[in-house]
Amino acid sequence: MRSNEPSTTWVICPAFNEGTTLGRVLGELHGCGYQVLVIDDGSSDATSRIAVAMGSAVIGHPINLGQGAALKTGIEYALAQGAERVVTFDADGQHRVGDIARLIAALDREQADFALGSRFLQRSRTMPLLRALLLKAATLFTIATTGLRLTDTHNGLRAFTRRGAAVLRLRQNRMAHASEILADIARSGLRYVEVPVTVDYTEYSLSKGQRAGDFLMVLLDLFAQRLYR
Amino acid sequence: MIAQAIFSLLLCGVLLYAWAEYRRSPAVASMSVVVSLAGLIFVWVPSLSTAVAEFVGIGRGVDLILYLWVCISLILLLNLHLKLRTQEESITKLARAIAIANAVVPSETVTALSERPRRRGASSRPAGAHTSKQMDDQIV
Repeated sequence: MRSNEPSTTWVICPAFNEGTTLGRVLGELHGCGYQVLVIDDGSSDATSRIAVAMGSAVIGHPINLGQGAALKTGIEYALAQGAERVVTFDADGQHRVGDIARLIAALDREQADFALGSRFLQRSRTMPLLRALLLKAATLFTIATTGLRLTDTHNGLRAFTRRGAAVLRLRQNRMAHASEILADIARSGLRYVEVPVTVDYTEYSLSKGQRAGDFLMVLLDLFAQRLYR
Repeated sequence: MIAQAIFSLLLCGVLLYAWAEYRRSPAVASMSVVVSLAGLIFVWVPSLSTAVAEFVGIGRGVDLILYLWVCISLILLLNLHLKLRTQEESITKLARAIAIANAVVPSETVTALSERPRRRGASSRPAGAHTSKQMDDQIV
């Protein structure tokens, strides 16, 4: 910690069997003085143990619920603890800790309630072509459904103000939550800003990420949600 | 006559089920009533289904019933899917409540954030003991 006062910026790391990378990620986050909250989404490996040992706050889902549910749990808890800013940060090591400060600076500078990381505002050398095409398709889908003009709709690195975090409903437990967050942002009418961030693709992060086939399931999830509300 | 008797029995069973279901979901119940009544009529007056089929431009009465059945099962499938989703949401809420109640908070954060009394053995356990207890749970 840099000061005696605990930071009011909470970094939420949803983690499902991320024992391989979690220790390094948490080490870097704590090094910057953030409040770190790990949501262990029913992992069967050492995820919780590592997080506790690193001194993070840890909430463990008794069963695996999905990343969207983990984010919701984290946001709910962080807001209850008085968080002024909430950052979502993937535990697989694909984000850079230094980018968090840029997102928060953007919130302040632009008077925005949502700062969304984008890997397409600057050049990435490590992105596979199929992944790039998939993300492009998601961008078009977002423009069509929410009207938000974003360059990257599925980036796990985001920062919200307290007011922003409170409007997110996150009823989609699984991967469709990324689209749902955007829909909520559009609905709230609050200011949002995109910030260039770097995503490091490793074999590990790719193996944990979404596959092209998941896209269909996401569409189905979103469709079903419209039907029954 | 045997087929008619068996199907009539089955369809009457569906009618009973619809009556019992009416409280829980009137839409599904009324739909079941309509379907089973139509079924009863078609079972006892088979020529009627052919007449209706010809009227709407389908060759045979059996085909008409087959097409209708495909539609009905799709609707049932959707209904089931929605039910599962609602159930999933309840489970999520339950799991989240349990998870938050068992949150493991690093001791320095707890003392800084809230002024919990640090009494050993009291019902509100001191933060350090809380953490280590939780840690054991996690390891087990």
